[in-house]
Amino acid sequence: MITEDFEPVTDTVEEQAPVEACTKCTACNTVCPVARNTEIFRGPKLLGPESERFRIPQEPSVVAGLDLCSGCKLCEVTCPSQVSIQTYIRRAQNKGARERGRTLRDFLLGHTRLLGTFGSLTAPLANLGNRNPLLRWFMERFVGIHRKRPLPRYQFLTFERWHRRHPRPARARRKVAYFYGCWVNYNERRLGEMVVAILERNGIEVVVPRQQCCGIPAVVNSNTDLARKYGVQNVRLLTPLAGEMDIVASSTSCGLMLKHDYSHLLDIPGAEPLGARTYDICEYLWMLHEAKELDLDFQQVPMRVLYHAPCHLKSHGIGYPAMRLLRLVPGVQVEEVDEGCCGISGTFGVKVEKYDLSMKIGSRLFAAVKAAGSDAVLADCETCRMQVEHGAGASSAHPVEILARAYGYR
Amino acid sequence: MKTDLAVVGGGLAALTAARAIQRSDREVVLVWPGLSSLYFLYATIDVLGYADAGAAEPVDDPGAAVAGLIKDQPSHPYARAGRPALEGGTKMLLEWLREAGLVWEGTLARNVLLPTATGTPKPSCLVPASMAAGDLRRADPIVLCGFHGYQDFAPELAAANLRRSWRTGNQVSAIRIAAPGFDADRLFTSIDLARSFEDRGFRAEVANRMRRQISGDGVRVGLPAVLGLTRAEEVYADFETALGYPVFEIPTVPPSVAALRLFDRLRKHLQETGVELFWNAPAHAATVTEGRCTRILLKSAGREQPIEARAYVLALEDWVDGALRAGVHLVRDPFFGRVIAEHAVPSQRTAESIFGVQPYAQLGYPVTDRLQPADETGRPLADNVFVAGGAIAGYDPSGTKSRGGMAIATGYRAAMEAMAAA
Repeated sequence: MITEDFEPVTDTVEEQAPVEACTKCTACNTVCPVARNTEIFRGPKLLGPESERFRIPQEPSVVAGLDLCSGCKLCEVTCPSQVSIQTYIRRAQNKGARERGRTLRDFLLGHTRLLGTFGSLTAPLANLGNRNPLLRWFMERFVGIHRKRPLPRYQFLTFERWHRRHPRPARARRKVAYFYGCWVNYNERRLGEMVVAILERNGIEVVVPRQQCCGIPAVVNSNTDLARKYGVQNVRLLTPLAGEMDIVASSTSCGLMLKHDYSHLLDIPGAEPLGARTYDICEYLWMLHEAKELDLDFQQVPMRVLYHAPCHLKSHGIGYPAMRLLRLVPGVQVEEVDEGCCGISGTFGVKVEKYDLSMKIGSRLFAAVKAAGSDAVLADCETCRMQVEHGAGASSAHPVEILARAYGYR
Repeated sequence: MKTDLAVVGGGLAALTAARAIQRSDREVVLVWPGLSSLYFLYATIDVLGYADAGAAEPVDDPGAAVAGLIKDQPSHPYARAGRPALEGGTKMLLEWLREAGLVWEGTLARNVLLPTATGTPKPSCLVPASMAAGDLRRADPIVLCGFHGYQDFAPELAAANLRRSWRTGNQVSAIRIAAPGFDADRLFTSIDLARSFEDRGFRAEVANRMRRQISGDGVRVGLPAVLGLTRAEEVYADFETALGYPVFEIPTVPPSVAALRLFDRLRKHLQETGVELFWNAPAHAATVTEGRCTRILLKSAGREQPIEARAYVLALEDWVDGALRAGVHLVRDPFFGRVIAEHAVPSQRTAESIFGVQPYAQLGYPVTDRLQPADETGRPLADNVFVAGGAIAGYDPSGTKSRGGMAIATGYRAAMEAMAAA
């Protein structure tokens, strides 16, 4: 048994699985929301591990069909052999874009911070413009943003500036760093305020470190190069903190980037310690609860809510902590709508040629939401919330909003 | 995370165990490493198709055959699970299928003989109603229909094989039609066809084109299992009426639409009734203190997470979902890290012929009478851990066509034991 002498028997599944680990079982193709809704998409099996065998670094990348992958990651979630299907697709796409150049739209959608800075500085104007039919026609024609897709509202006061003025609590038993992400900073400051309020209510001081965009918008817009640049900056900015405190994120996809994709998809050296200390906000609050540190002095919140689990939350591998937390709040009636991907997948459903497909993917969810009726649809991911509001006409919220209300927040 | 009971796996054994625990109003989480063989293989639930992997004659009465097997082989996993577990589990499953909106038929007292996609008669016990008319113990003639360009079902091949192997010597013919909108030079799968079948107009046109080619009275029509994805019952009934002949589906290779329907409905039903699922979390590494398992670790994004339960059901199915880990010479289990088998060369694990009796199929955990994983002396490795499904040693789920029945019996029994131990 010579091999055991120099190489211990290792788990084949433990490490990042090589392309040969794909057994061609086709599970990924059957769960892929895009493949289920259009016949023009070849599916993750073919575009991921199967094409990967033919990709040669010295030869130009074949990118046909890659843009139809929305990046929901359900293929990786369901792969029994833990094959990095998304990594193969995103890297090939990035290489193709490097060789052929990127479109203005993909450039813009990948630079969320740039858009956010511009949008929040010109907030009233930008919001007006985003709702102006003529301008939207123009944007559709020349940029490729579908005119029916409601764009997020920008706010003049960013979360960063709000927090600078926010008084520190006098006493705290621990500290936590908050990765608020572009969404909270430019579009939904209130969510960030609620996260801070909930944590402070539980005796935790919230540190808001300097940070860069997590990079997920760039990843899904053919630009892992840019995402990597952002990732390297975040690792440099946040790793020193990770030695002292946990890091929480209130956006599902930002959290997943920090936890997993920096070290795996983007190969950023030294990203593991940061990933190991990063928690989704609901995951973190549930840990507090198990440690008997969560304040359970809740007010009644008489609401009937539906919970939609974002695809990227499934990728976290942490179950449904939001559902567990919601069940602690008196008065809340929570039910899960399990209809799979909502279809928007970040910036995917914003694009002119993807909008209809994105709405078709989400149609099962929309129908279920409409049929069930509720006071609000809860989802941890901001673009899922946008899509549910648009497609089902329902109001939506992040699950922590219910907790904030139970604590009497505004 | 802390919980009352944890079930690891995504196959039929895991779903059965989770359902049995949930029905007793106990808290249970289901931890998934990714989709299991249920998603690829199960189209029917086979309790015992052949008495042993080499047997030529299929079993007629699987309930009686299992009873006989329990008497003759007291260490067989069926004997460990016990006949009450098979009966109780089957009863629960049939009720559950109904509640989840699936129309299935069958009893433990009888096997049906269904054609596979290559035209081999296969004994099955519980089957979707949409397959029942394919029973080869019935004598009426069969027309098999395929679709031009659809590569996973060749009606000519299946018909030729059936003519050879179906002993009553009855009529089998093959036809092919072009599915509307599907060019023969386009690559498409059963999922694409199933999705199209949900459209009424498509169904009507397919029925028209098929009817034009079918002749003869009293025939029944077999086609690949593509009759609808999420609304299959409605699609099947409607299509059969439109065609005017009895229709049966034949399960295909992955992506198997029949398996997908079963799995999706049961998973969804579990979730809707409050079972929490941990997606994307391969579990491994059991920590055992003073004879009890205190936690298992999940490989979540960024770090390993402990699940602390009072009792555990390990219901991983087979090699596909990581129930066992094979190196060049050693096969280990991922939870206790014990060596399960040792081979001088890996080829000792496989038979020369792919259709032969495979040594690897027999590998798995040795178990106690209560389905706890056991050491060499037969003592449990942990008092509160129970194994179910394909990961149990000493039987060949594929060769004996017993994967489904074993999953139900051991999943049910393991759940009962786990609840008692928690």
